[in-house]
Amino acid sequence: MVDWLFVALFKYRLVVFERGDLVFDAPWPLAVVLLAGAAVAVPATVIYARTHGRLERRDRVILAGLRLGAIAVLVFCLARPMLVIATVVPQQNFLGILVDDSRSMRIPDQSGAPRGNYVGAQFSPDGSELLSGLSERFKLRFFRFAEHIERVDDVGALGYAGRRTDLGQALHSARRELAGVPLAGLVVLTDGADNSGTPLTETLLQLKAAGVPVHTVGLGSERFEKDIALRRVAPPRAVLRGSSVSVDVTVTQSGFGRETVRLTVEDAGRILSSQDVRLPAGDEPVTVPVHFTAEESGPRVFRFRIEPHEDEIVTENNTLEALIVVEDDRRKILYFEGEPRFEVKFLRRAIAEDENLHVVVLQRTAENKFYRLDVDDPDELEGGFPDTREELFAYDGLILGSVEASFFTLDQLRMIGEFASQRGGALLTLGGRHAFVEGGYAGTPLAEALPVVLQQDAANEHRFFAEVKVELTPFGRSHPVTQLAASADESEARWKELPPLSTLNPLGEVKPGASTLLLGRTEDATDSYVVLAYQRYGRGKVVAFPVQDSWQWQMHADVPLDDLTHETFWRQLLRWLVSDVTDHVRALTSADRTERGIPVTVTAEVTDSGYVRVNGAEVFATVTAPSGDVRRVPMEWTVERDGEYRTEFAPEEDGLYEISVQAEQEGTSFGQARSFVQVGDMHAEFFDAEMQAGLLQRVAEETGGHFYTPATVGSLPEDVSFTESGTTVHEERDLWDMPVLLILLLGLFGAEWGYRRTRGLA
Amino acid sequence: MTGTQRGPPGIHSIRVLDPLTTEDLLSRAAALSVLGLVSAAVLFADRPGRAPGSGGHLTAGQDTAVAPLGRSFYFTRVAYGDLLRGRRGSWATDYPKADRQFLIGLRHLTTIDAYEFENPIRLEDPHLRRFPIVYALEVGYMSLTDPEIVGLREYLLAGGLLVIDDFWGTREWANFESQIRRVLPEYVIVDIPLDHPLLRSFYQIDSILQVPGRGGGIGTRPTWQYDGYEPALRGIFDDQGRLLVAINWNTDLGDAWEWAEDPWYPLQFSNFAYQLGVNMIVYGMSH
Repeated sequence: MVDWLFVALFKYRLVVFERGDLVFDAPWPLAVVLLAGAAVAVPATVIYARTHGRLERRDRVILAGLRLGAIAVLVFCLARPMLVIATVVPQQNFLGILVDDSRSMRIPDQSGAPRGNYVGAQFSPDGSELLSGLSERFKLRFFRFAEHIERVDDVGALGYAGRRTDLGQALHSARRELAGVPLAGLVVLTDGADNSGTPLTETLLQLKAAGVPVHTVGLGSERFEKDIALRRVAPPRAVLRGSSVSVDVTVTQSGFGRETVRLTVEDAGRILSSQDVRLPAGDEPVTVPVHFTAEESGPRVFRFRIEPHEDEIVTENNTLEALIVVEDDRRKILYFEGEPRFEVKFLRRAIAEDENLHVVVLQRTAENKFYRLDVDDPDELEGGFPDTREELFAYDGLILGSVEASFFTLDQLRMIGEFASQRGGALLTLGGRHAFVEGGYAGTPLAEALPVVLQQDAANEHRFFAEVKVELTPFGRSHPVTQLAASADESEARWKELPPLSTLNPLGEVKPGASTLLLGRTEDATDSYVVLAYQRYGRGKVVAFPVQDSWQWQMHADVPLDDLTHETFWRQLLRWLVSDVTDHVRALTSADRTERGIPVTVTAEVTDSGYVRVNGAEVFATVTAPSGDVRRVPMEWTVERDGEYRTEFAPEEDGLYEISVQAEQEGTSFGQARSFVQVGDMHAEFFDAEMQAGLLQRVAEETGGHFYTPATVGSLPEDVSFTESGTTVHEERDLWDMPVLLILLLGLFGAEWGYRRTRGLA
Repeated sequence: MTGTQRGPPGIHSIRVLDPLTTEDLLSRAAALSVLGLVSAAVLFADRPGRAPGSGGHLTAGQDTAVAPLGRSFYFTRVAYGDLLRGRRGSWATDYPKADRQFLIGLRHLTTIDAYEFENPIRLEDPHLRRFPIVYALEVGYMSLTDPEIVGLREYLLAGGLLVIDDFWGTREWANFESQIRRVLPEYVIVDIPLDHPLLRSFYQIDSILQVPGRGGGIGTRPTWQYDGYEPALRGIFDDQGRLLVAINWNTDLGDAWEWAEDPWYPLQFSNFAYQLGVNMIVYGMSH
């Protein structure tokens, strides 16, 4: 309707004005036309100005303006305005038709039919108005694209079976393939659901530079009427066997607002967790914390699923999978306590049954006298607290109890900080009379590593003491350390029941970047203190737990005898602390789940016995395919970072790939590390599968093309004709006879006449 | 590692960077004696939070957990049965001097942040669970009420440690055994071997001495009472090998603490009493 009205008024379609250049081609020189116009305009104005009688000043101005406007329109027409526009020479140019051949084109949301049906109807050899309009003007070249692009004779070859959509690669390849012919542009029929992760910017700039406009035709609906989708899961990379795992699952919906659905977690078909999720009312995604226990060791694929509803348009996006490596190692933690305290007794009891945690206790019982518990051999810690990096860095974690900073040398304090930052170890600092500010740690190298702010002048002259009721922070509600029950609600309820703890270290401020999981509030609720906070420090984690008697959660009269809160808390805290601590070689992959043919980057970090990064090591990745085929791939130092090596491989089979990285130098092995990649059908085409109008508009605008929908695509053949690309001719199109000019002229004259009548001048 | 095995814990080790010789121990004991004398005024001062003159006298309805909170360790004495003092076999024997004097030694010898004063508490008091080690003596005449049985049982199963002292002979043993069987019927009493970590936790103790009550062991006077000729250190362990009850039978550590400053009390016995007492506390705070 708008287009029709525009053409009725302006004679041509809007695209002609956009693409054309305005020129004047008067039979006389333009100056003559302008002088003639002035010769008429000046007397007309003077006459109005000099006329007296009943004319007021306002009347003279309005009437002169109307007359001058009419004269201007006449002058404009006499100057013979025209648009010069480049148009293609029929059948002299090529047009690339790129059709999305991915599985998302099967989604039945194009007027109730699969998106691909529209392509079939418009471009089948039987012909359609659109196809004939294009083929009259251009030589058409068809391509289908998904993960790759391929030239096809016609759209009958499309099977809509591609597992991914790589729009950028498709545009780039099509342009290159048609580089040797006069190319009028590219037409892309797609839903725009690109899931390649490849940035489009560079490709679009190249197309623009080459003068190849891309016209996009968006298929499908921008929002599904009825759909529930899992958008994202955020799992930890590795956990210790038997650990509580917390995973945030992001859920969106349309058409199911405020309904309750059931979210389950499965491991090899066994349901580990099941919970009700109340869907949000609107479009906004909701993040659901899911908790379960990883009981089976090895690389495990956990499946998160919401039971599909019968009305849903897409059901494949109701399931997401995550690969988590469940380690069955024994992690060794050193607990150094400056004085006998019941925390030692109850911490040891809490983790006594945990086969994956080994806590060695070094307890100072008198000046220069130490009590060692659970050491592996008689020489371990014989000299007291380690004073070499090799000795300290042999542990995965370090717990510091109530021991004053002056006990350590400056080198030892630095070494403890480096234990976290360089070695990647886990550091946990407990409260006590000789901890934090009260232990003289403000201003020491260790203070920098802590997640809490130590105020130098905050030391109390008198011993501070407060009993605090511990409560979860919003962050703590979804954190695996603070999950005390199967569901988040039960866990929160349990925290509210726990007896208070006491603290001697009033710490109220955490550092920027630190996260607080637990706060402690005094009985009168006037003060609150940090109870559990952590931050990443270099490669490691540093946790502050500035209370002195967590054993109250075991011993207090309000805690039932069979309650396992204390054990659960300590096991989860220590397991979480050390679960991602690695040895001298660390291996990471660019993705833990992928599809065949997509390259996987393997990155390794190599450190020597003192955890100093090594650049000159010989590093290999042994890639074992699901079929058992083994490939040994050398890894090269990246140069960008010390001790970092990289290589790439493309998986060719579905199943679990194991990547084992070995590093050595001059015959000395630094050790090895494993990583895993699950290869298979990711169903990527069914996530974010709505028609991405924004992306398609951007592609068109940045390359000089237009964005269409099936409702507007009728003008495509003509629009594509107006291009500077390919073999073109320049057409001149007169504008002086546009209906709008006549209407304007008549309107101005009519207005002048009417005004005069109204004022009684006619 | 002790965490996964049952029965008495296994590998433990102790390293004394500054080993104590016998002379050291003797000089320390002498120092303790002097300390005890010098601090006599402190010993019998009224402790914070308690009404003047009420020390040790607990009556029904009195809150027994009056110690200010916040310290790492409280020498907590179990007040059981009849709370009136003075009778033979009272919970309050040697109280509070033994408690205070032991605490002076404990604070002097170790880094433990110990509360300086006595801390009696009844077994049915819910605050009992705030103190994971408790001390009871004269159990040869102990007769626990049902609420006391429940309170003590739950305390021990929650993780508490009960240290028993100062009861002699087979008759008193029989009474104690019958009482403790009411508390922990499922567990047996066993000897604690001389290589047990409890005897290595602070001092290296190679033999169990019989510590006599005041007046005993001087010259030819016997160290035993009744037919309690041989001292014994016994214990009750749970299924995980965790010590619930440490039993000092035919010995009187409390008297040795109480009279450590007495020039007539034999030094070897007070030395030993402090050593064993310190070991039990350090062990009980770490196991």
